[in-house]
Amino acid sequence: MTREADVVRSLVEMADTLVDDYDVVDLLTGLTGKCVNLLGVSAAGVMLTHPSGRPGLVASSSEAMRLLELFELQAQEGPCLDAIRTGEGVGPEVLVPGSRQWPSFTAEALEVGFQSVTALPLRYRDVVLGALNLLSTTPDTMAEADRIVARAFADLAAVSIVHHRSNVEAIRLNEQLSAALTSRVVIEQAKGVLAERAGVDLAEAFARMRHYARNHNHRLTDVAEAAVAGTLDPTAWQPGSAQ
Amino acid sequence: MATDDRLHRILGSLAAVGAESLAPGRLCEVCPEIVGVSGAGVMLMSGDVPRGSLCATDSVSQLIENLQYTLGEGPCVDAYLQDQVVAEPDLAEPATRRWLAFTPPALDAGARAVFGFPLRVGTVRLGALNLYRDRPSPLTADQHADALVVADVAARWVLEAQAGAPSGTVAADLETGADFHFAVHNAAGMVSVQLGISVAEALIRLRAFAFVHDRLLADVADAVIARTLRLD
Repeated sequence: MTREADVVRSLVEMADTLVDDYDVVDLLTGLTGKCVNLLGVSAAGVMLTHPSGRPGLVASSSEAMRLLELFELQAQEGPCLDAIRTGEGVGPEVLVPGSRQWPSFTAEALEVGFQSVTALPLRYRDVVLGALNLLSTTPDTMAEADRIVARAFADLAAVSIVHHRSNVEAIRLNEQLSAALTSRVVIEQAKGVLAERAGVDLAEAFARMRHYARNHNHRLTDVAEAAVAGTLDPTAWQPGSAQ
Repeated sequence: MATDDRLHRILGSLAAVGAESLAPGRLCEVCPEIVGVSGAGVMLMSGDVPRGSLCATDSVSQLIENLQYTLGEGPCVDAYLQDQVVAEPDLAEPATRRWLAFTPPALDAGARAVFGFPLRVGTVRLGALNLYRDRPSPLTADQHADALVVADVAARWVLEAQAGAPSGTVAADLETGADFHFAVHNAAGMVSVQLGISVAEALIRLRAFAFVHDRLLADVADAVIARTLRLD
């Protein structure tokens, strides 16, 4: 019962991060820790695919795990990479020396002390974002109940990553919109300043501002900012400028 | 009704008015019919301040936005700042006393119920959807749920429209039918020179004048530009 309560709390904690601004690496590092605590595995690691499509290591529960995952990436063979490639779960597999499935990875994992492995893809709808690697120092394969929980963690991590990425994009677009609007506002303020200084209407003031910017190879927004700051060259609003 | 069904129905209404182009104005147009209100508008806000209106279906909705821009109070401002739906189903006999400056002119214009729905995408808050009725009545659960979907779609449309804009510019689709109160900024520039003060201070003076004389900021700005009003 305690284990169930822990699992539920872990899932809720992870779901909470969907709402707040958070760091994906923090989330996934936390995930690897939860896997070790709650699933009876010895180590966990997460790989995510970069926009280029290549997998990279993002989080691990221990240094030994991190090194093994780096080895997997370098050797370009292993359970995590297979899970990413196929989009399907891999294992549970008992690691045996001389295995033909992942010869280099198996040798290295056994050397470090791991004896069995399960890898689950991080999937969001049809997209594979990466994979979760779970290793044990015993040859026992993971119980069904544990695999179900591991699956739930992997799914929630995938959703979190997608939400985070779209949120980052939304923040960027909103800031772009806000900045663009602010630039316009400064130009409108500058029109007013120049209209008053030159004693002309707003349209004429804008024409003189544009003309000055072109002639002096300045950006319009820079000219506008100078006008508002009161540092603009007075020739900018003189009639001779707008020929 | 499931959210997906609601969304399909609302998108269907939009398709019916030919709303393929990304313009919040289209959403505003179908709002009254979908949600059962007299008019709708979308307010853009950032840094806790109204930046302007992206669209409004009628003069009352325009006034509702204009009042909030001038006074900094109202259903959209509250919805945005509190990040939750704000409902005043009976503006003349409100359950809570609020918006003391906003309410009388809104009532005079014919608004008897007002609602604000935050526009949000993820953690990003963009502004609020403005709805009013010419009769006092609350939104039904269905209408409330529909308005939530409309606000959600509107928020996404704003960002998608901006995604297509050349760097450093406001998307053309967002400018069409919008009112960013550029006249207020034109006037601030003029006043800054007339009074020998900074533009920032000129904006404050304009707001103070509007407040003291019980006028909309937009109207004061127009008078300054037309040179029928000087603040000195």
